[in-house]
Amino acid sequence: MSVTVKLDDLTFGYGAEPILSHTTLELLSGEAVVIAGPNGSGKSTLLKLCVGLLTPWSGRISVLGLPPTDPAARRRIGYAPQRIRGATSLPVSVGEVVASGLVPQKSLFSRMTAEDWRRVAGALEAVDLTDLSKECMFELSGGQQQRAVLARALVSDPPLILLDEPTTGIDQRFRPVIAQELRARAERGRTVVVVSHDPEDFHAVIDRVIDMADDRVRELTHEEVHTMLGRRS
Amino acid sequence: MSLFTTSFAIRAYVAAAAVGVTAPVVGTFLVQRQLSLIGDGVGHLAFAGVAIGIAVGVSPLWGALAVALVGAAALERLRAQGRLAGDLSMALIFYFGIALGVVVLSAANRFDASAIGILFGSIFTTSRSDLTLMIVLCAIDLAAVAVFYKELLAVALDEEAARASGLPVDALNILTVGVTALLVVAGMRAVGLLLISALLVIPVAAASRLAHSFRASLWIACGIGLLASLGGLLVALGQGSVAPGGTIVLAALLLFALSMVFGRRATRRHARVVTR
Repeated sequence: MSVTVKLDDLTFGYGAEPILSHTTLELLSGEAVVIAGPNGSGKSTLLKLCVGLLTPWSGRISVLGLPPTDPAARRRIGYAPQRIRGATSLPVSVGEVVASGLVPQKSLFSRMTAEDWRRVAGALEAVDLTDLSKECMFELSGGQQQRAVLARALVSDPPLILLDEPTTGIDQRFRPVIAQELRARAERGRTVVVVSHDPEDFHAVIDRVIDMADDRVRELTHEEVHTMLGRRS
Repeated sequence: MSLFTTSFAIRAYVAAAAVGVTAPVVGTFLVQRQLSLIGDGVGHLAFAGVAIGIAVGVSPLWGALAVALVGAAALERLRAQGRLAGDLSMALIFYFGIALGVVVLSAANRFDASAIGILFGSIFTTSRSDLTLMIVLCAIDLAAVAVFYKELLAVALDEEAARASGLPVDALNILTVGVTALLVVAGMRAVGLLLISALLVIPVAAASRLAHSFRASLWIACGIGLLASLGGLLVALGQGSVAPGGTIVLAALLLFALSMVFGRRATRRHARVVTR
């Protein structure tokens, strides 16, 4: 297994106070990781640092062997932000939203091919949205919109998948489907990183739980994971 | 009948058709990104450009083009920095553009009826060279959208995700406001700087009541823009004394009203949540 994401002595904050302080972390190919922690602990911030949307105060980040602002690295990341962009001003079909996840891989003058649309169909099937591909995003429920955004992150089959609260609003019955899909991706060598307030959704399919609290990042032991999940259930 | 086939009328049809088709193509991306008023902002700045052009002795069109492009880039920069989030900043820009235009035109002793034509359109005075420039500007806009369609759509759907996936979002944003500036200048003769923004927005709003997808919205908006432009122009030609800029925009509003009544979302949008 190779190192996909490497944080080296990383410090970052929004005001004067750091939210991440001298953080060091490695994420490997083929593993599924949940990042847990209380609100404001920096979970979403960590993902944004990994995709280059934020710049660390100090320290270094390497993503797929490159700086996170390098387009060559970014094109190989499947990122689903926390906020659902379903409330579009115009009608946008679910298929169009998912297909937009393939755009960074396409060259300037190229059109969507039949193979591209097959990949879109595959991503929709993975999140169980196949028969809604032609529906407008803003006519779907919040959970369905969330699944469409998830499909957008998965459609290019990227080596690094970063998902911020991917099960928010999704029915309990679909959550195991999502979790199993992410496990299958990890089995194929992808790195899957999930920020979640509900780590129990992924309990059966993850390799590690990283806990963020008090500007520190720490991997939980098996006992601590079981204690945390037991306390929640 | 000859009134409808004279050379000035034919130039007016072509001008109206070019702007009527192109404005909604650009406007679809603006509306999706909730930037509907940016066309107004650029239009007001372009008025100052017209005035400056007249004052320094160059063509008003070139003055408008230069100021519209620079102003559009500045507006985008303010927006990207989060300093244009509310409507207050945009309102200040409106006032600045129009006030500067009035001051410069009056200082140059040119604040006369021609200013009305710039603000509200004077499509029947379109010269052959004006028409050529309008067609070139519209063609540049359509070509830019055709080439960058999938990238512009990805940014319009989710700017943060597009940036994270490596798309050159800043450059695409500049392209968006750049084509808006070109369209505003192209539409200056047709409907005027104060009304061109209506053609950017109203056909798109009407299309959004009828379409299932972004691509369908864009095509339907083009059709509505074309219909409104030619319909409004015909009314103005037939009536003889009304300003075509106004009739074109009113025709677009009529089509929007019809879409509100007969569009699929008129009755279904809120009642229909897809179950699965």
